[in-house]
Amino acid sequence: MAIMMPASDQAVLARRAEIVAALRAIVPGEGVIDTPAEMRAYESDGLTAYRQPPMVVVLPDTTEQVSLILKYCAGQGIKVVPRGSGTSLSGGALPLEDGVLLGLGKFKRIREIDFDNRVVVTEPGVTNLAISQAVAHAGFYYAPDPSSQIACSIGGNVAENSGGVHCLKYGMTTNNVLGCEIVLMSGEILRIGGKGCENSGYDLMGVITGSEGLLGVITEITVRILQKPETARALMVGFAEVEAAGECVARIIGAGIIPGGMEMMDKPAIHAAEAFVHAGYPLDVEALLIIELDGPKIEVDELITRVETIANACGSTTCQISTSEAERNLFWAGRKAAFPAVGRISPDYLCMDGTIPRGALPKALARIRELSEKYQLGCANVFHAGDGNLHPLILYDANKPGEIERAEAFGADILRACVEFGGVLTGEHGVGIEKRDLMGDMFTEIDLDQQQRLKCAFDAQGLLNPGKVFPTLHRCAELGRMHVHAGKVAFPEIPRF
Amino acid sequence: MDTLRVRDAKDVEEAVRAAIANEQPLEIIGHGSKRAIGHTMATNAVLDISALNAVTSYEPNELIVTLQAGAPLADVLSLIDAKNQQFAFEPMNTAPLLGASATGTIGGMIAAGLAGPRRIRAGGARDHLLGAHAVSGFGDSFKTGGKVVKNVTGYDLCKLLAGSWGTLSVMTEVTLKVMPKPEAERTLLLRGLDDAVANKAMTAALGSPYDVSGAAHLPKSAFRARTDELGDIAAQDEALTVLRLEGITASVSHRAGSLRELLAPFGTATLVEDAASSALWATVRDVLPFAAGGALAAWPVWRIVCPPASGAALGTQLARETGGEVIYDWGGGLIWAALPPKADAHASAVRQRTSAFGGHATLIRAAEDVRRGVDVFHPQAPGLAALSERVRASFDPKSILNRGRLKRDATA
Repeated sequence: MAIMMPASDQAVLARRAEIVAALRAIVPGEGVIDTPAEMRAYESDGLTAYRQPPMVVVLPDTTEQVSLILKYCAGQGIKVVPRGSGTSLSGGALPLEDGVLLGLGKFKRIREIDFDNRVVVTEPGVTNLAISQAVAHAGFYYAPDPSSQIACSIGGNVAENSGGVHCLKYGMTTNNVLGCEIVLMSGEILRIGGKGCENSGYDLMGVITGSEGLLGVITEITVRILQKPETARALMVGFAEVEAAGECVARIIGAGIIPGGMEMMDKPAIHAAEAFVHAGYPLDVEALLIIELDGPKIEVDELITRVETIANACGSTTCQISTSEAERNLFWAGRKAAFPAVGRISPDYLCMDGTIPRGALPKALARIRELSEKYQLGCANVFHAGDGNLHPLILYDANKPGEIERAEAFGADILRACVEFGGVLTGEHGVGIEKRDLMGDMFTEIDLDQQQRLKCAFDAQGLLNPGKVFPTLHRCAELGRMHVHAGKVAFPEIPRF
Repeated sequence: MDTLRVRDAKDVEEAVRAAIANEQPLEIIGHGSKRAIGHTMATNAVLDISALNAVTSYEPNELIVTLQAGAPLADVLSLIDAKNQQFAFEPMNTAPLLGASATGTIGGMIAAGLAGPRRIRAGGARDHLLGAHAVSGFGDSFKTGGKVVKNVTGYDLCKLLAGSWGTLSVMTEVTLKVMPKPEAERTLLLRGLDDAVANKAMTAALGSPYDVSGAAHLPKSAFRARTDELGDIAAQDEALTVLRLEGITASVSHRAGSLRELLAPFGTATLVEDAASSALWATVRDVLPFAAGGALAAWPVWRIVCPPASGAALGTQLARETGGEVIYDWGGGLIWAALPPKADAHASAVRQRTSAFGGHATLIRAAEDVRRGVDVFHPQAPGLAALSERVRASFDPKSILNRGRLKRDATA
């Protein structure tokens, strides 16, 4: 394992039997799992290159139990790693050897559907897709749609601030969540926000969203639901050059059109996807755009025409427009299966997740090609083109000595390039352990100290999900200390009147 | 009064460090346009960021603009308007309501986080702030977020800065998302509905697939204070329920037709187009019927956020009990209440009723002596209040920045 996790607390490990018994007293029956065989299912999440069995797994089914577990662990100085469905691609739910793995899988109930206020109040273990399904009969849906939506939990979505193909138009999780019930590491249960548009006081919901399970354990969530658009149609446009495809994306946005989704694939990704699903993708193009317009039929038809005109002006070499739902779904089939398709052409692959300004796309792809040469590893690119979120898939073979290390170094260089081009390390998969040690490439020590001080406001002992997100752990007392600046009392040289 | 006019982020750092050393809290101002909101601050030292007013970069094709925090809001709106773009959250101009002369700065817009009617569809200031550079109460410059829309790298401190009223950090530079202006705008107008029925009509519209971008109700009583901005539309002095549609022209016309059919049980909607429509929504956004220059200038004004479908029940109760006037926005989820003058601005009634409906209320306009005696911002449950205070202290442990603005008991 290339990533160093916090040193295990031997004193805690020595008391394992006692800890298991204490947890059983809180969550009776099968809610506590402590045999190696049964714990195996929890030893990694979607970032499967990293595995670590936890000390013990606990699966509470009430908020009170969560509160008692956290209070007990806080009192005993035991680390806790929260977990939803375990689909994180950044290792956010990787267990700790001396930590309790707190699974929220039993929180599976939708508590309230309120169509008048256009919200659903749900427990965190409900899957993203199940929320949309629960309100579909009234024409509603929950907009953020990460590609793992069939499996990923809404609690995990909040922890990671998940995106999806449609977040260009409808926002990420943070733009679609109104409130929550959260249990702090101390065991304290708090309610934040509700069915109103805005919370009182500081926007704690906003900072909890995307906090990767480091601030608290969410036990209930209130999400916004929307009416489904009347119709959707897609264009599939091929280009002989990546630059032309990038220009097309810029011109569509520049024309004031915000498509429901706008995806790009490069040649290796197109070929892999076509071989897998036979969606009819053109094989002689360097870049393929799938652009989906949604809304009332009259609007979609009009925008399809406008986008087609723009694509032609940018020198598109092929352009197909869906005329039926079946055809639209076929266009998407290849894109949606891009990851497994790449899995067919390579024994293993690493999925990266940087974001760049849209305009930097050609530069970024050129850099990735250079790096591919340098590391002697293939790379297929899929790209949420509308919002600049790049997913290079680095192809490697874990059985060949040194390849995983080379793949990881290649990936790190891609993310550093994203930052260099004015972008960020992660667009939607989270920092977790995967990008933890790159945080210093994007943030200064001072930036990271401020973030960690915020963590202290929620979890002063640093027991909740330690070792994730931040490359260096500091004690809260140390972070809270005021620096004494040189020339501190001297009055600043600032105009005064 | 001691005023420090800072020129750059370095100046801000120095000013804050000196303030820490001298244990002298600072009031952070741009144009001072929203100075009358909140409690009187426990300081007479002012940090004026209005000279930090440059446009760092504007990239229309990337849909972003990066600005120094003191950039005048009005100038920035003109700048992006020239490229046919806008801030989709429709920031409120508080000047008419507060009787201020300036419309304020970008920093103030974010620190106050007062979004307009499109909040229901496009989100608030917090949803459009992509990144920020700021100086904390430690006297250190830090950055959070970035210049791209999709970003989950580290905690999203931008969310905390938006709506923090300058109590966490001094923002020096911010990156905001801009969006294309819609090609067309149409408003459907229903007349004469009482509040409860209007709330139902707005709920029906917002639950439709017609992408309503504004849903407001101005009860008849509110027009006793009406201003000329409403023009002919309000001439009949009836209640108005207004629903806005935006987008490409063909789509807006189509949706207007469909929505009108859907709303038929509530009456026959008339259509207001383009300029008249936008004047109408500016009236709602800036709460012009309660303007400082109008008949209700002396009345305290509350801003109440609640579950949208409960708006009418809460609003009518408050109006009845106090003899006040209300205006509904956000489909009922935002109530502006102007209440007859009273020593406590009816705080106990407002807070009690609002809390019962799961909402929260801010006393947005009141004389200083009234604000001294009541909580301007909605008191939170003890656990949440304690967490909020820890969060505040994590940015500013010595409470140097805008000390006492949010909480009455902290002014000592």
